[in-house]
Amino acid sequence: MEKIRVFMGMLGMDQHEVGAIAVSRMLRDAGMEVIYAGRFNMPPMIVKTSIEENVDVIGLSCHSWEYLYYMSELIELLKERGVEIPVIVGGSVITSGDIKKLKEMGVAAAFGASSSDQEIIETIKNIVPKRD
Amino acid sequence: MEEHHTRSNIPLKPLYTPEDIKSLDYDTHLNEPGSYPYTRGRHARAGVGWIQRELSGEGDPERSNEQLKYLIAKGQTGIDVIADSPSNALLDPDHPMAINSIGTQGVSICCLQDFRELWKDLPLESITISNSIPAIFTVAALYILAKENNIPPENLRGSVIQAPFYGEDCGYATHMPFRLRLRLASDSIEFCAKVMPKFHSFVEDTYFFSEAGFDAVEEMAFGFIEIRHIVRDLLKRGVDIDSFAPRIAILVNCGMDFFEEIAKIRASRRLFARMMKEEFGAKDRRSLSAVFTCHTSGLSLTAQQPFNNIVRGSIQTLSLVLAGVQAIEISAFDEAYRTPSPESHLVGLRTQQVIDLETNVTKVVDPLGGSYYLESLTNDMEKRIWDMVMEIEAKGDPAELSDKGWFKQFIDDIMARYAKQIRDGDLPKVGLNCHQIPDEEDTLLKDVAETKIEPCWDRIEKIKDYKKSRNQDDIKKVLKACYHKAKIEDENLMDQIIRGMEMGATIGEMAGVMRMAYNFPYDPHGLMEPPI
Repeated sequence: MEKIRVFMGMLGMDQHEVGAIAVSRMLRDAGMEVIYAGRFNMPPMIVKTSIEENVDVIGLSCHSWEYLYYMSELIELLKERGVEIPVIVGGSVITSGDIKKLKEMGVAAAFGASSSDQEIIETIKNIVPKRD
Repeated sequence: MEEHHTRSNIPLKPLYTPEDIKSLDYDTHLNEPGSYPYTRGRHARAGVGWIQRELSGEGDPERSNEQLKYLIAKGQTGIDVIADSPSNALLDPDHPMAINSIGTQGVSICCLQDFRELWKDLPLESITISNSIPAIFTVAALYILAKENNIPPENLRGSVIQAPFYGEDCGYATHMPFRLRLRLASDSIEFCAKVMPKFHSFVEDTYFFSEAGFDAVEEMAFGFIEIRHIVRDLLKRGVDIDSFAPRIAILVNCGMDFFEEIAKIRASRRLFARMMKEEFGAKDRRSLSAVFTCHTSGLSLTAQQPFNNIVRGSIQTLSLVLAGVQAIEISAFDEAYRTPSPESHLVGLRTQQVIDLETNVTKVVDPLGGSYYLESLTNDMEKRIWDMVMEIEAKGDPAELSDKGWFKQFIDDIMARYAKQIRDGDLPKVGLNCHQIPDEEDTLLKDVAETKIEPCWDRIEKIKDYKKSRNQDDIKKVLKACYHKAKIEDENLMDQIIRGMEMGATIGEMAGVMRMAYNFPYDPHGLMEPPI
């Protein structure tokens, strides 16, 4: 079975990279392949890279509130391009209220400060359709 | 018997006795406070106090100015202001990448008029302003505004952070080559040594990069690497060590390992004094005793049970007061979520005031000096910090290590190590990896912590209009001059930046043309056209 491919990056000017790096390593240790885009990503570039890299899931680490404003643009762009790649966000700034709003927007899963590694790994495995 | 270690992995014994410090010679290693090697503090007497301030800056310069005045009215004795992420990345608010972060994590600032509004009505001559705003531009603005207000520049106090080494990898990327970043640091320090001699033009900030999860030894080793490199660069230029070293300050982090944090500061004072005297030949006693300021650790705080963060801030502040630092900012209890709310600002300030006025701990200088444990730990820290500095310098020129990404790799590994320590419970955090409570019970102070600030979108049009309103030929001319000056590496860029600001050029524009002079793109994100 092919490895699950995860795009991992941060949005706009958000530069607190601790979470993105930690989660990337954790996902790699769990047998996934991480396409690490690091800092300074905007929705069009995220969509382009995710399609070119044939990823199964888009992961965004959020430590500023920028995600609140970029997320709908990202989801819209994915729809426009006709691709069904689930989007997952995580970060300590995400509150339970935010998680509700994000899901309404079409985000597949969102993790706040209290989420465990296992929760994140299991969620990704459940969301991503099995690769042959 | 179970073994215990400090956060920096220094083995701990359950009891310390005179045996543990028998090699300690009072005059050589400690001496009186205010005397070489300054282990026991910069000042000879107790009661000098420290500057009490909280990190501020939010929205546009006008809103931030109100915030600063609010804090002063509440008894704050200095100012600490940070720019938002686009401004610290040297991008103007009209840059497409800036749109959703304008003014949310600091003040949005890009031109002289912004600085004028930020510092409006503040007594520039008597209050110290600690600026986490791009250094060389802040120095230029302060110099111009002092002249405007008939304040002699030599009377200006305050500080700027110089971060040519680690800013790029830890939250303050400017997308400039290392050589240019170092040059901008050295140019502004050299300028201040001549023109603004009371201004701390060189704050070595070990806070922001150590927030990646550094331990205390690593934090100070990285700090000393940067200090030493900048000092050598200035000496190479022929700048006299005693003209700038008295205005070096070290802004350290303070985590939860109470005694280790105190030992770190005492050991670093001793190391700094010896290095300045023996290695760099400083003679002025003020060159030997660095000012230490501190920001308590944001990383040590948790999003869960934010009230616990008030306790953490108090403990950290007490350790800093016992260590004898010159200024303190407490990371606010809502740090995990946002830049400080007015409520958390007040809690931070009140914490400092309670320790200052109610505990009596300030009445005796270096009150823990002579403790078998603390002196032993100070010795250990000193040795370990210096060993690590030597080990890194032995790997090659730190400038090359920076260009090759050695520091970036080190920092990435530390981030992963820290996450593992939390995950495995090696680093206990109440509310996070032990003593958790369900989300529905975790409500105290959550409403304050979770309140969000909207980006200051109206800044975009305002700055666009401002740019259009200028005389375009003059702006082109001054930006071209900035570009050509940046091409000549042995010239100081300060005069040109002052000229640029006076003419109305923005930080984003000047940074862009300087990048071009070093064959880097004007806009690192490829979204804006160069104006020249």
